[in-house]
Amino acid sequence: MKLISEPLSLLKRIVLGVIGTLGIGLILEVLIRTRVISGAGLPLPSAVVRQGYHLLGNTAFLTQVFYTLREWMLGLLIASVVGVILGGLMGAIPTVFTMFSLPVEVLRPLPAIAIGPLLLLLLGTSMLPMSLTVAAACVWPILFNAMYAMRSVDPVAVQTAKTMHVSPLGIMARVRLPASLPFMFTGIRVSASIGLIVAVSVELLLGSGGGIGGYILLASTSASNLDVVYAATAVTGLLGVLVSGLFALADRAAFGWKKGLAQ
Amino acid sequence: MTDNQIPAELVMTGIAKVYGTNRAIDDISATVPAGQVTVIVGPSGAGKTTLLRIICGLDAPTSGQVHFDGAPIDGVPDGLAMVFQDYSRSLFPWLRVEANVGFPLRRIDKKLRRSRVMEALEAVGLAGKEHLYPWEMSGGMQQRVAIARALACHPRLLVMDEPYASVDAQTRAELEDLLLTIQATMKITVLVVTHDIDESVYLADNIIVLSKAPSRVSEEIPVRLARPRDQITTKEDAEFIRLRAHVLRLLRNIPEAPTGAGSLAAKVTA
Ligand SMILES: Nc1ncnc2c1ncn2[C@@H]1O[C@H](COP(=O)(O)OP(=O)(O)O)[C@@H](O)[C@H]1O
Ligand SMILES: [Mg+2]
Repeated sequence: MKLISEPLSLLKRIVLGVIGTLGIGLILEVLIRTRVISGAGLPLPSAVVRQGYHLLGNTAFLTQVFYTLREWMLGLLIASVVGVILGGLMGAIPTVFTMFSLPVEVLRPLPAIAIGPLLLLLLGTSMLPMSLTVAAACVWPILFNAMYAMRSVDPVAVQTAKTMHVSPLGIMARVRLPASLPFMFTGIRVSASIGLIVAVSVELLLGSGGGIGGYILLASTSASNLDVVYAATAVTGLLGVLVSGLFALADRAAFGWKKGLAQ
Repeated sequence: MTDNQIPAELVMTGIAKVYGTNRAIDDISATVPAGQVTVIVGPSGAGKTTLLRIICGLDAPTSGQVHFDGAPIDGVPDGLAMVFQDYSRSLFPWLRVEANVGFPLRRIDKKLRRSRVMEALEAVGLAGKEHLYPWEMSGGMQQRVAIARALACHPRLLVMDEPYASVDAQTRAELEDLLLTIQATMKITVLVVTHDIDESVYLADNIIVLSKAPSRVSEEIPVRLARPRDQITTKEDAEFIRLRAHVLRLLRNIPEAPTGAGSLAAKVTA
């Protein structure tokens, strides 16, 4: 007899995922072709896939993909550095927490996208204001994860180091930081997906022509190009899947030991 | 082991610890003689862990003083190594066994450090396991790693807080014997806290029995059972049986039985 909750093998999961995706595409294709749903500019899956295939061989498009990736990485990097350092210090040192908790509470609810135009005005048309917008959205999960992780480091681990004459700075570097790293990385992982969405959104919003968003914006000015718009959007989605897969792999490789943490 | 360290002596005088309105330790004065095994036994909540934290310099007593080799303790004494009850929280899961054991030796030259780590692992019977992560090991093996880490510091006083409370009975017996072997070969002072009466009698040269909180010393009992001790023969010795009954009565506050209790009965006045 099989257990209901028996975990599926990776292969099975991939096969099932592909079947599901193809199934949805097929249903959509049939619905549109039989005119059950109709209207101008509906995405015919087969056309989108064909267009997507062309896009992946299109250097102009690929240049924009790499532009978006660089913009996203810069933003994520800035967010990681700021989030880990500020969040880590807020978690480890009560004084720092008291100093920064009010500014953090005030800034957090601001939608990152809203500061994009502002940054563009201040910094001019370039990648930097867009990366900063990405950073503004990505910083929060990283900061809060870093803060809670540093705050909840096991006191027994800290005491152990104290009995070994490790200095307060040493305890920070050799106990609190390593014990918190997996949770900080979880924050970065969450932010990576958010960041990609924000990167493309801010490109669409600012319309400075760069990135996948800029490409989509340009293509959408002509109604005949709608399949290109859909295809570029789909590529962005695939990029997101790829990114979160890579981060999951890195997580397993670097922080496999976290199952050894108590609780 | 190549060590000419002199074992340390520990003297507690009038230790009291108050947490807010909760008086955990009332008044404890006792001596942990150099080169011997002293066991503190007391009911749960008697302040045993609190007392060890004070001895380790992690916490200050509300009043009273601890002297380590004649010098009053102010911070963690040099030459003291501590083994915590909860090995899974005390070992660092991001480090392999070798790095865990070498953790306190960071100031030491790399080659010497490795040889001291290997020597300590050898002493606890874990040679060849240095590349494992602690969480890949059984509870008993993890506690051996924790003991090896303490030994790698070449301590003059080894302090252990209920070290075997979370391992099974068979492993516990093995680890008790391991501790006695190490103590005999390295000639260090050992201070063990336990709530297990059999364990206290089996390990000890001296037992310090604590009352329940606010705790005081009920009695200090010398144990003259022959060494090396043996899980079977020592535990069937009439003296062992008499001592464990005696400790149990002290902990339960039951007066000594009128027959066969001998001279010790007179001491139970506290
Ligand atoms: N950090 C602390 N703050 C407040 N009370 C504490 C603290 N540590 C221990 N206590 C109290 O002191 C008493 C003794 O605790 P403990 O030393 O852990 O006992 P034992 O180890 O003998 O079981 C308990 O009542 C406990 O609640
Ligand atoms: Mg305790």
